Amino acid sequence: MTFLIASQLLNGLATGMLYALVGVGLTLVLGMLNIPNFAHGGLYAFGAYFTYTIVNLTGSFYLAVLIGPLLVILVAFVIESQGVRRLYAAHHDYQLLFLFAMALILQEAIILIWGPVGFSVLTPKALSGVVNLGFTVYPAYRLALIGMTVLITVALWLFLTRTNIGAIVRAGMENREMVAVLGTDINRVFMWTFALGAYLAGLAGGLATPIMGLTPSMGADMLPISFVIVVIAGLGSILGAIASGILIGIAQSMTTIWWPEASNIAIYVLMGLTIILRPQGLFGTR
Amino acid sequence: MQKLFSLPSLIVIVLLIVALPFVQRPVVAAEVLTLGIAAVATNLLLGYTGMLSFGQALFFGVGAYCAGILTTKFGFSAFLAIPAAMLFSAVAAFLIGLVCVRRSGLYFIMITFAFNQMVFFIAYSWTTMTGGEDGLPGVRRPSIIDDQWSFYIFTVLVFVSALCVMKLFVNSPTGRILQAIRDNPDRAAATGHDVGRYKLIAFVMAGMFTGLAGAIFAFVFGIVPIDKIDWRFSGDIVFMTLLGGSGSFIGPVIGAAFYTWLQETVSQYWDRWPMILGIVFALVVLFFRTGIAGMAELVAGKLTHRRGAAKAKQMEAGS
Repeated sequence: MTFLIASQLLNGLATGMLYALVGVGLTLVLGMLNIPNFAHGGLYAFGAYFTYTIVNLTGSFYLAVLIGPLLVILVAFVIESQGVRRLYAAHHDYQLLFLFAMALILQEAIILIWGPVGFSVLTPKALSGVVNLGFTVYPAYRLALIGMTVLITVALWLFLTRTNIGAIVRAGMENREMVAVLGTDINRVFMWTFALGAYLAGLAGGLATPIMGLTPSMGADMLPISFVIVVIAGLGSILGAIASGILIGIAQSMTTIWWPEASNIAIYVLMGLTIILRPQGLFGTR
Repeated sequence: MQKLFSLPSLIVIVLLIVALPFVQRPVVAAEVLTLGIAAVATNLLLGYTGMLSFGQALFFGVGAYCAGILTTKFGFSAFLAIPAAMLFSAVAAFLIGLVCVRRSGLYFIMITFAFNQMVFFIAYSWTTMTGGEDGLPGVRRPSIIDDQWSFYIFTVLVFVSALCVMKLFVNSPTGRILQAIRDNPDRAAATGHDVGRYKLIAFVMAGMFTGLAGAIFAFVFGIVPIDKIDWRFSGDIVFMTLLGGSGSFIGPVIGAAFYTWLQETVSQYWDRWPMILGIVFALVVLFFRTGIAGMAELVAGKLTHRRGAAKAKQMEAGS
């Protein structure tokens, strides 16, 4: 039993780190742009499918994970410049409807381009074995995934706290009017924040392919999870999004041990409890 | 009735009810009216209280499954199952509303959406009751409304009564306070109104009537498909409401009619019709933001204005 719990903990940590990436991307966009980004799941799915295509073309998973998510930025630029930008001043209703439309279009586009059947991506050879951790043997790719996502999170953290652009982004999350008044081209900041959010979603999608595979509905499945992460964390909290991403991943994998059918429902119960006990979220201030 | 609705709205409602079953098959006409109830109910939140709920499919689905399960598994008559489904949706709306109305703005959207997904998973996994992914088939209409025309008339009766009750609610003192909350929540709170409680009332009303719509829907095609509780359907309901025009009471009905027509037409030709739906949604948002009712008012306003101007000119010439 202890082994089972230990390896489920690791599984939860691995998916939780992916959730954290998606959640941080969403919280950046939500906190900065103040729009309900329903396209986030679709961008996650596109990251996965781009990665899949590049793996097939080049045979290199590493190259694919490097380039695939970057291509998602292009998709994000189109969505931002053609639609979202015209709607910053509009009501949430219209933003919501537009981004919901993007979610539909992205998912249907996946079916049109790649077909309705799912795929799987082989784990890169060097990471395809198992590692003996002493208390349990564990797939090497999942361990590497935890390592990679930790590195990405640290890099993102450094970017946001140690660079000028990062400072602008953080200031914009606090008070975007003030940032605009201080002479920053806020439209450019918005565009790049949207792109960064999309990149993080796409990156999570790419990294997830060897363990979760690809289906056209993968974006629609990830979307509610990413919203739950932001609600539990508190809107605009980056550290909170990381923490609650991991929390949700582990909560899900732990529920799987005792009551597999409820594992999908557990995270919403967690969300409900958070709102009742701490409406502003675990790390939120507003 | 005449006092309740303005003459143009009355004409639109009557025209719609009479013309629909001749333009489309009667079952599709019944579908339009059911979705119309759901859209008007959703507009109690969207247009009248300023709460953007992205979880209305939850209540539509709860109503539909409740009516479907009660008739197929417990042998209830439809005439008993429908009110029971309504009550059940109201209770669900009350419980979920207790949590949701604590937050507004983006949070409210996200939370309603997330609860929608939670209930979807319950419907998805509880296969013995709901049929899971395949939906719940075999929902039989009672014999007196079994043929398509008598069922259509039944739907019309439910539709008209639901609209009257909701309109009465909107015109009631409570409804007025909801509109005050929409216009300025802080001021409404400052004048001593318990904003959270009123929002909860609106949420329960909307949930209850959306549930009613779902309950009727179960009998339209005799099946409760799982995608009617999926969050994408919540988006569709928001689309109907906004397209029809959230600023008008009956506008959402027109939105529901347009949505159904679009779906019926496009899905015949192309499997990937949600793509077209998405494109239409996006175009509406970018170029057509007042909705159909808003456009109609604009045109009507211009016409009456012109007529007024012409009259003024005549008067001037006469003097």
